[in-house]
Amino acid sequence: MCDPNKNIYLPYLATVSEVIDETPDVRTLRLVFQDEQVRDRFTFRAGQFCEYSAFGAGESTFCIASSPTRTGAIECCFRAVGRVTEALRRLEPGDTMGVRGPYGNSFPIEQFYGKNLVFVAGGIALPPLRTLIWNCLDWRDKFGDITIVYGARTEADLVYKRELEEWQQRSDVRLVKTVDPGGNGPAWDGKVGFVPTILEEAAPSAGNTIALVCGPPVMIKFTLPVLEKLGFGDEAIYTTLENRMKCGLGKCGRCNVGNVYVCKDGPVFTAGQVKQMPLEY
Amino acid sequence: MRKQITADNFNALLQALIDSATRVVGPRRNAGTVLYEPLAAADELVLDELPRRSVKEAFFPVCEDLLAYEKQGQGVQVQDVDPALFPETVLVGVRPCDAAAIPVLDAVFSWDYKDRFFLERRAKTTIIGLACTQADDACFCTAVGLSPNEPKGADLLLTPLSSGGYLVEGHSEKGVALCRSYAALFSEPGNGEPLPLAQPQPTPFDLKRIKAWLDDHFEDPAWDGIATRCVGCGACAFVCPVCHCFDIVDEGTEKAGKRRKYWDACGFWKFTHHASGHNPRDLQPKRYRNRIMHKFKYYDDKFGQTLCTGCGRCVRLCPVGIDIAGVLGEIEKKAND
Repeated sequence: MCDPNKNIYLPYLATVSEVIDETPDVRTLRLVFQDEQVRDRFTFRAGQFCEYSAFGAGESTFCIASSPTRTGAIECCFRAVGRVTEALRRLEPGDTMGVRGPYGNSFPIEQFYGKNLVFVAGGIALPPLRTLIWNCLDWRDKFGDITIVYGARTEADLVYKRELEEWQQRSDVRLVKTVDPGGNGPAWDGKVGFVPTILEEAAPSAGNTIALVCGPPVMIKFTLPVLEKLGFGDEAIYTTLENRMKCGLGKCGRCNVGNVYVCKDGPVFTAGQVKQMPLEY
Repeated sequence: MRKQITADNFNALLQALIDSATRVVGPRRNAGTVLYEPLAAADELVLDELPRRSVKEAFFPVCEDLLAYEKQGQGVQVQDVDPALFPETVLVGVRPCDAAAIPVLDAVFSWDYKDRFFLERRAKTTIIGLACTQADDACFCTAVGLSPNEPKGADLLLTPLSSGGYLVEGHSEKGVALCRSYAALFSEPGNGEPLPLAQPQPTPFDLKRIKAWLDDHFEDPAWDGIATRCVGCGACAFVCPVCHCFDIVDEGTEKAGKRRKYWDACGFWKFTHHASGHNPRDLQPKRYRNRIMHKFKYYDDKFGQTLCTGCGRCVRLCPVGIDIAGVLGEIEKKAND
């Protein structure tokens, strides 16, 4: 009866298997598809997104925050700021929610083989890169040096704290973590400063390197010139756009940036592509 | 196929369809307003007034259910919509500016993912168009490449004759099949005189030229002048035959309810508002610019079609008097400068 192939707006049902509070208002949900066939069939690539629903509240759009290399469950990560995200936050382990997807394009990870990677993320924008970070770490020998520059307003606003710890311990990852001035507590062992400044200080080499940037518009705005200064070309920089969406299917008409539909043509774009777009994101 | 039908036989055709339990939808007066609605009897049909809202709602209703949900403990039962929502339908009395909208909408609802709600209704609907004999000052179908007797989108096109009957042209298999099923009601075309067609604003826009200007002028001071009057009421999008933006919302309680699709409009402030508070189209001129861009550039870029049929509804209804044909005229003038 319920066939998402016929009715494209029907979600798969998933059980919340775990909830993790990343910050006081950011939560990770770990989801297991209820239908065994869907569990086996559902595949995605790093960078793709889903429409997640709390029945009775509606749907919200987030990337898939877990890596495609980790099967059995997917994760989403969101800040509770509205009707749907508040309802998603009220879900407890064992509860049922809806998932439509995966939608959109993805990071062309095959093109990154043999290259160094620099991930630059701010605040709640780590999840869209974290899927790719773990994908790359799980296929570690396919890539050169991996650098992660991650910052948030305060220590409390850093997400995936346990994983930051893990990345810090690893000898095959260089993690540079930072908080905005005033956001550090007495025990803070990272940098203090805005992400673009800290990135410039960390000065990763642009040679044979791909930069992957995700953050609030203001961070992107000041990060791109820094990358340019470090020698990164427009086609060596990738980002994801996060316009408001409803259908995720190229129908409902709201996520467009000029004639580009973020849900179909994106959400992953190179800096070169973004520079061609009108300022509508 | 060309046939003729008398006014009486046309009524008899509609009544026979209604009596055979076919859903017949046409312009009908409802509390003073003419809308496309199911007809209970053939004589409810109103053909001398353009319906207030366009025919798109016969395929893409103002509001429709996408699914029903019901919580059971920690589980949720999701129920797909009933296929009975998509009955065999004959749409009658559809003006060319409305009928032409449907093939335009096919593009967005059928590319990539298939929107069953639109497409099943489309497959099950036969459209009987009516050549237009009345234009008013707001009409501009001829300016966007259509005409009062344009058959685009119509399975059958009726042209009113001075005798009161209609000349009937078949424009699809579906249309011809409908005539064949009621063959006794039709006759061979005689020498009946067609009524003079409507004569809307006669000068065609150079849509290619307008698009070329739009291609290069996302940023242009002209937008402020063109769009500052817009109050963002969304009326233009709701009456437009080809505007198709929609919202998806849950209605009900946490225990049970429906997920629904509703018409939406790019003129609304909240349409593009991010959860963070950021809004890429934070000012009304940016939203009006998107309306023009989507209609005369983006949809063309993507599907090779113009998202306007010149029906003039938005012009008649705009509370601040924005005339989209006037806007296109201004843009064309700039393109020519």
